[in-house]
Amino acid sequence: MKQIPSSVMCVLGLLLIATTSACSLQTVKPWQRGDLASQEMDWETDPLLAVYRRHVEFSKEAASGGPVLAGGGCGCN
Amino acid sequence: MNKSKALMALTQAALALPGVARADVSVDYLFSDYEEADLPAAHAASGQSSERYSIQSHLLRVVAPVWQQKLGMTLTYETMSGASPWFVMPGPDGRPLQVMSGATIDEQRVDLQGTMTLPTSVVDSAITLGVSTEDDYRSLHGGVEVTREDDDKMTSLTGGLSYSHDRLEPTEGGSTRFPDRIRGADKDTLSAYAGLTRVLTPTTEVQFGFSYQHGDGYLTDPYKMVYVVSTATTYNESRPDGRNTYAITARLRQAVPSLAAAIHADYRYYRDDWKIESHTVEASWQQTFGEHWRVAPGVRWYSQSQAFFYSAYFPDFRHDGFASSDYRLAPFGALSGRLDVTYKLQNWAFGIGGEYYDADADYAIRSVKVENPALVEYWSVQLRIAHEFK
Repeated sequence: MKQIPSSVMCVLGLLLIATTSACSLQTVKPWQRGDLASQEMDWETDPLLAVYRRHVEFSKEAASGGPVLAGGGCGCN
Repeated sequence: MNKSKALMALTQAALALPGVARADVSVDYLFSDYEEADLPAAHAASGQSSERYSIQSHLLRVVAPVWQQKLGMTLTYETMSGASPWFVMPGPDGRPLQVMSGATIDEQRVDLQGTMTLPTSVVDSAITLGVSTEDDYRSLHGGVEVTREDDDKMTSLTGGLSYSHDRLEPTEGGSTRFPDRIRGADKDTLSAYAGLTRVLTPTTEVQFGFSYQHGDGYLTDPYKMVYVVSTATTYNESRPDGRNTYAITARLRQAVPSLAAAIHADYRYYRDDWKIESHTVEASWQQTFGEHWRVAPGVRWYSQSQAFFYSAYFPDFRHDGFASSDYRLAPFGALSGRLDVTYKLQNWAFGIGGEYYDADADYAIRSVKVENPALVEYWSVQLRIAHEFK
């Protein structure tokens, strides 16, 4: 039987901790969200630059994927 | 001049769409110059250094409200030139040496993608359609994303599904010069992802994601060859016609209000059934200075193991018939550093950014016995200009 890589277990562990501990977290009220709403807290502060850099990495590395919609292929890979 | 004309034409086209108000239209343009370092003479079978790829990219994104929804269009135009790695052969001491494609490759790629967001009372959804064309490659793709946020806006769930159909028609396929090169082939790719975003505190947010991709069809690079020592001859590389990939991601955003800054930390674990395993860690510091400036230095580390059918060169034919010497399927690691600076003035934003990337066997998480001679080193510079019509 294949062993699950330790790194996968780590990420799954973090996920479990975050989701279960989050259940006991206090709700962050709208007036407390000023910092969360700032642009530097965006998941991608510059979406167009992120698209470009993902494309370069996709053409130079074997790994790809993440929490974004996959685009089409290209002759670069 | 042509670039500004194209930008103006696309903006005017967006504004001319039925239902588009001039207000709330945003235009974002990126130019990037990407240059790969020469292949060192010590890595080349010819004994001479060789120029590699140079790519100039123009990306233009226009977002406009259309029929009370939001439509985003992204146009990419790239020109590529230079030589690319062809095959690897053993040197007199057995050390792998790279043979580059003889002629300079000149190519261009045009990619157009549109996304329409469709918020409803239950979920936010978005539909994406795109097409990409090159001289020897065409891709049609589409997808749908949905996001649901809970009532107290502490947690949101996102899911996406996309499909791509690609057609390859390699240059000189089946020609007298390259009789074994395919004339044409297809491949299909199905991708899916799911993500969970959670607000932890007024300054902390985390996101976890899982993505899966299934590739089916011609997944081989039609231009690459492999060298087989027992026959002292090169053959077309050959990869399996299916590939399943999995990626798990974890991302953190931590605001540092006292410094008007934020920390970004991302991790991705990747694995596929070509036996490639990879880790990626990215971190950046997003610093704002007053109302106008943002400076974002960042670093990225990447590591991958090799595909099961990869070797720099092959002592003999593999029993399963697969073989590739593509450096992108080799074991290696890479380090990169980035710096992006943005200046905002009223409805305008101007930016400049740069990245240096170096792939090396020494950066891999596990020791690499034989380094592929074609591992890439590049730098790129980006210029930005964006405007919001209000």
